[in-house]
Amino acid sequence: MIPHDEGNGTSKPHAPRIGVVFGHPSRQYAPGEELVVRYDVEGVELPAIRAMERTVVWYTEGKGEEDLGVHRFERIDDLAGLAEALPHGTITACLPASPLSYEGVIVKIRWCVRIRLFFVAGRDFVSEHVFEIGAIAPARGVVERVQ
Amino acid sequence: MRLPPFFGKKRGHRRTGSQAWGSFGEAVFYAALVAAGLCFAGLLLTGAVGIGPESAAPGWMRGWLWIFIWLIPGALLAFGVAGVARTVRDWGKSEERRAAAEGLGTLLESMGQSPAAQHPFPGVPACDDLVNSPGTILRYRLPIESPESWTLVGMGLFAGLWNAVLVVLAVSAGIDIASGRIEWVLLAVLVPFVLIGVTGIVIFIRRLVLTTAVGTTQLEICDHPLLPESSYDVLLAQSGSGMLRSLVLTLEIEEMASFRQGTDTRTERVIVWRDIVKEWTNLEITPGVRFETHVTVAIPAGAMHSFGSGHNAVRWRLVVRGQPERWPGFVRVFPVVVHPAPPAESAAVRHGATADGVPG
Repeated sequence: MIPHDEGNGTSKPHAPRIGVVFGHPSRQYAPGEELVVRYDVEGVELPAIRAMERTVVWYTEGKGEEDLGVHRFERIDDLAGLAEALPHGTITACLPASPLSYEGVIVKIRWCVRIRLFFVAGRDFVSEHVFEIGAIAPARGVVERVQ
Repeated sequence: MRLPPFFGKKRGHRRTGSQAWGSFGEAVFYAALVAAGLCFAGLLLTGAVGIGPESAAPGWMRGWLWIFIWLIPGALLAFGVAGVARTVRDWGKSEERRAAAEGLGTLLESMGQSPAAQHPFPGVPACDDLVNSPGTILRYRLPIESPESWTLVGMGLFAGLWNAVLVVLAVSAGIDIASGRIEWVLLAVLVPFVLIGVTGIVIFIRRLVLTTAVGTTQLEICDHPLLPESSYDVLLAQSGSGMLRSLVLTLEIEEMASFRQGTDTRTERVIVWRDIVKEWTNLEITPGVRFETHVTVAIPAGAMHSFGSGHNAVRWRLVVRGQPERWPGFVRVFPVVVHPAPPAESAAVRHGATADGVPG
């Protein structure tokens, strides 16, 4: 779990704790498989939450600028929906055929589930949980740098 | 109210500093552009600045000058209004929500297409441009992506434009000399201009001769896009004349990443995997009769598929490297697209391709 507060980038003493349990404990999925993730939010009261976003995304890491692709996006900002989605809930998604998780040299592709909480006070808190799609062998190293 | 920190840092995935303050600063910058554009436009409308009737410029020129002057407030207003609108649109939205909104546009575009035309592999580049040229023997002729060709075009453009300017200056100097006046400054400027112009032409002609002397390279393939754990028949044809000390066909994976460094956008490219498909040595090519050979190209099991996003890419390519006996070596690149392996499909024969597991 990589929780971080994007409000000012520092850990807050009363930051929520978000735990997740993946359907596959190894967090490795095949393309086209169904992803099921149960989450548990602790340390925050429902009246303090203005909205919640549950997403399944991929993003690039490495030397280049980060690219982000959203596979599943769900925003809950009504009281009834929030009462249902907090403090426990489940995220399900049928995973796509691509892009597959990849550990390259200067390009890496990561898949993750993100749970973002928007507080009434205006700040937000995001918790990210990485998983893998496919079984691509990592790149072994640089053969040649192209000029 | 807590003021934002003056300096920000990047910590892993995130940056320190307030996103709201960043968006606010951006909005202030674009609003300042709008204000500057409005002020400039106001000054032009009231006649405080601009081209007055006392201007010595002829009437037609005054009209063009007015258009050019109005371009300045027009550009300021266009950039400012677009920036403010973008900031307002994205205000308070998470990066996932913004990315989802961008993805919605792509989805709406694809709704008009037939199911077969819709791309089933997100993040994998389409290969429409790679399969629109039929081969003479095999199914597709692969397009070449030769950096040498672009270098040649660039050199040709530079030599042409430079020498066009040189001709104008030389004609002007010639008219002066014919009329009995000698402009020493112009003549002094002409000397380095002539040297650069002649050097440009020489380099361009040398590069043109080198590019054309070794002959063309052609690759044809039996199927496209490619799939992991499959083998494909490839035809390599090399024309030209004389002896090639070596000719090598390789299959490569290239990673490409674009990033900002200061105000520049830079692109880094590295080859992370290379497999020599076949190598020939001391190849004698007869003029008018091209060298043709069939080879088998195998995509390893578990290999990464082609990938392309805004700033990052994983690209597969077939590369022909030749070393003629009397000329400098050449490199010719033929991009190919590799799709992800079908989830439950074994390495059976696909579209005429034979199953052939090859270790990575």
